[in-house]
Amino acid sequence: MKRGKQVPFRIGTTTPRCDACTKVTGQEKYAADYYGDHFFWAGVKRAGTPHGKLLKVNTEDAKRLKGVVAVLTSEDVAGSNRVGIIRGDQPVLADKKICYAGDPLALVIAENKEALQAAVGFITFDHEPLPGVFDVEEALKKGAPLVHEDSPEGNLLRLVSVETGKGASAFDECDVIVEGVFQTPFQEHAYLETEAGWAYLDDSEQLVVVTTTQTPFRDRNEMAPALGIDVEKIRVIVPYLGGAFGGKDGIAIQCLLGLAALHTGGVPVKMWWGREESFLASTKRLSARMRYRLGVKRDGTFHALECRAYFDTGAYAGLGETVMTLGLEHAGSAYRIPNVSIEGSCVYTNNTVGGPFRGFGVTQVTAAMEQVIDMAAQRLSIDPLAIRRSNALEKGDKNCIGVTLTHSTGIKKCLAALSEHPLWREKEGWKMKAEQFKKRGVGIACMAHAMGYPAVVPDFANAKIEFTGEGRFRIYAGIVDMGQGNTSTYAHIAGAMLGQDTSVFELVQPDTERTLPSGSSSASRTTYVYGNALIIAVEDLKKRILDKALHLFCSAQAEELMLVPGGIRHREGKKKVSLRKVAGLFDEPERTCTAHFRSPAATEMLDRIYLGPHIIFSYAAHLSYVEIDMLTGCAEVIGYLAVTDAGNVINPQAYEQQIQGGIAQGIGFALSEDYKVANGHTDTNNLATYIIPTAMDVPDMMSVAVDNVEETGPFGMKGIGEISISGPVPAIANAVADACGIRIGRNPITAENIFQALQKQDDQEKPR
Amino acid sequence: MAREVLLPRTLDDLWEIFHAEPELHLYAGGTDLLVKLRSQPPLPSGSPSPLVCLERIDGLKGIYEEDGLVCIRACTTHSEIMKDPVIRQHFPVLTKVLSLLGSPHIRNMGTIGGNICTASPAGDTLTPLYTLGASVEARSCDSGRLMPLKSFILGPGSVALQQGEILYGIWIKKDHDFNIHHFEKIGQRKALAIAIASMAALIKLSGEGTIEKIRLAWGSVAPTVAVSHTIEDALTGKPLTENVLRDAMPLVTDALSPIDDVRASAGYRRRVATNLLLRLLQYKDA
Repeated sequence: MKRGKQVPFRIGTTTPRCDACTKVTGQEKYAADYYGDHFFWAGVKRAGTPHGKLLKVNTEDAKRLKGVVAVLTSEDVAGSNRVGIIRGDQPVLADKKICYAGDPLALVIAENKEALQAAVGFITFDHEPLPGVFDVEEALKKGAPLVHEDSPEGNLLRLVSVETGKGASAFDECDVIVEGVFQTPFQEHAYLETEAGWAYLDDSEQLVVVTTTQTPFRDRNEMAPALGIDVEKIRVIVPYLGGAFGGKDGIAIQCLLGLAALHTGGVPVKMWWGREESFLASTKRLSARMRYRLGVKRDGTFHALECRAYFDTGAYAGLGETVMTLGLEHAGSAYRIPNVSIEGSCVYTNNTVGGPFRGFGVTQVTAAMEQVIDMAAQRLSIDPLAIRRSNALEKGDKNCIGVTLTHSTGIKKCLAALSEHPLWREKEGWKMKAEQFKKRGVGIACMAHAMGYPAVVPDFANAKIEFTGEGRFRIYAGIVDMGQGNTSTYAHIAGAMLGQDTSVFELVQPDTERTLPSGSSSASRTTYVYGNALIIAVEDLKKRILDKALHLFCSAQAEELMLVPGGIRHREGKKKVSLRKVAGLFDEPERTCTAHFRSPAATEMLDRIYLGPHIIFSYAAHLSYVEIDMLTGCAEVIGYLAVTDAGNVINPQAYEQQIQGGIAQGIGFALSEDYKVANGHTDTNNLATYIIPTAMDVPDMMSVAVDNVEETGPFGMKGIGEISISGPVPAIANAVADACGIRIGRNPITAENIFQALQKQDDQEKPR
Repeated sequence: MAREVLLPRTLDDLWEIFHAEPELHLYAGGTDLLVKLRSQPPLPSGSPSPLVCLERIDGLKGIYEEDGLVCIRACTTHSEIMKDPVIRQHFPVLTKVLSLLGSPHIRNMGTIGGNICTASPAGDTLTPLYTLGASVEARSCDSGRLMPLKSFILGPGSVALQQGEILYGIWIKKDHDFNIHHFEKIGQRKALAIAIASMAALIKLSGEGTIEKIRLAWGSVAPTVAVSHTIEDALTGKPLTENVLRDAMPLVTDALSPIDDVRASAGYRRRVATNLLLRLLQYKDA
């Protein structure tokens, strides 16, 4: 980092992120940027057919091609050939079955890309096609084709149910009951950086894999048994990622790269998926079908909730069942509901592979819950904001699965701030100004998002900071920075504590040999958990530095000294000593401080839901201005406001980047993104057909952070990475309903969908 | 297998290449062709036919005025045309279309000749050029010929170029008297969008609000650009009012023959393309 103006980091003050300059100038080296004088390319032959018994993979023709080094099949995998963090049901290379069109059948290693491409084209396979299963409810019927014959409950991966109070029988006590079916499609992460990596065996026969993953330490543990090598013989290095959003949480390219490197005779091997391959073979947000019923008292009090959800995990378990479970834990959004009956089925199909995606199941249920609330408000003629305020959770309340909220709970503050915002106060005037053939509507939605792992999964981080011989600070980040800027925030935290600016910091990205295990880059946890550990380590280091510095001052007390940018000063005197000078007094072992932090977790009601409940949540209330073109059905988001309680803000710019990114991605999910799979094949296999929003499609987004402190958080913060993506679908759907009285229930709400609904509405209104 | 790409700098170089190698893929910008080639499976053996890049031939670039006509040479990029003051002054409908075509990157790469020869039903430059009555000039090493754009475009992906011929330029008459230049494109998003339906319109509207002359063209709703003299005749001489436009809408519906694809259904295309006619009401009191 270059030395600019020496302004030390301060909590709550914007500082440009440490990686900004190296990224925009192209200096930052991503996993795809590794090349050497002599290296091979690896690539995969994929099934292209959704379901079948795999009889034989024919590689002879490919092997004979000039430039082909090796063609590997499942027979060349020395280990279990299985990955999948919970169920271990996914092959590295398909052996017995093809379960979806992206299944890898053979791995080619070649001297150049042309030979690689040709060889992949020469591989054929013999298989016995099987009837596929492509719909979640069909998949659960008796006699449906089985995706995994050995799965104990057939295509049902997991059933989760939660009942509180009187359950569904409480509907008898309600004055108004509203219901609806809501569907959300598969969503592709569409990160800028497709899966890539570079792998080799080093001089000590250790397998080194530089790759795109959110889970380096977990990957190592999965790769070892799958490939049949000792875990200590694997080193995973993860540069900054060019986006991931959950799509690089778990094994995708890692084992293939590792397997290739074991068969090159020591030559490094490179793999880099194209966009179409990334679309085909990467995970998707689980599609969901949700039947919702909300029972309300005449005064607007929520009394009963029923949710029946089906989540499509596709061909393999991955983290699908945990995605659904987190969704179900949030099925009631941010409200008090004394009686609930929630049940979800996570189902195998031959569609694609489901997995984590920013929002992790919560985005799906929030889309449904926040729409039935508007339906209830409309039935009762209560203002949609008022009905939310009167039911919003407060600290001490029980959430929808009956867990008492003991941490910061700021949804009421969010709604209060929203109600005072000009976009809310001036909405009626704005709506009236619609031009000819246009209608305008305003919609709101609330959301909650749990932070960290569920109770029974230990959520910890191990921070490591080194005071180098040059008097600089090197932070060893064990959690991947996939673009959210968490490692930069680590420097921010340490800098604020040590009185330093960016110029003295170096950030070491995850490397299983140099950084310490700290869990995945996921679950809105990265700054909270690592930040807490880092604070302990920095306090330790700071004390060591001041103690050492005493030798250079005629001062008896460390308290009389203070850290200033680049050095140490006596509080009263003028004397300043450089950090480099103090660093010279350190012995090697003293330079590094490490600390462990384990996040607080629920200790009660652990059996309430699969893997146990969460206890710390962020909250938000969103508002959208939407204009409908009645001639085309096109919905345009004209304005957007997000009011968020994610605790105290460390770096306002980084905070806002997370909010805006989530909203933009959520707008894409609401209006255009649709990974369509029909009979196991997709037509939306690239960025020309899978429509993510451009800058032109995203309005100015306003972000307000409410004043709320999470006592357990580093400097009072809590997770911000995911929450904002859950707002746009319901906020926009509610605005569409407000504008023209239609509710589509399925996103994306495309122009064609709106247009058809308007036609239907027109036909119904015509006198017969 | 690696593919050969030839980069002639002059038309004479090009004619020599044609002479030596009749099996060629021509391109000018490559924003369509390169995407298409990328999605094709590699050939099992042998070398694929060479690509000839036309965009570096100086003689195929630029915008010129001649005897009341403007000639846009085929390899002029969309960005260059969009910025051109002559085009902006005389054919604002074309400037408008180009501002909505693809993205800045695509406009910097893509050329008008490429857009025409791709002959996609969704080709953005086609509808304004149809309404402007553009002609195209094809040239070979020893001859040239002019024909209306409408006759040049034969169907999706098909144009009336003969072997050894290239599209040299587009000719448009300057002296039209339309005072309304309108274009609208319906896409799945606001930029980088392939049209689901589009409509270009040129109108000569009298001071009293009468449609004295009108040219209409629809994109993405038929194998080629859809035009209809019946509709234009029905509107000519009428006042620009909602009733007049609504009366003409059934004629539009009849003139279209859209298809279903990944972007939209045929039914939606037909109804929306018809509705786009109503957008002309915005010029009623202009």
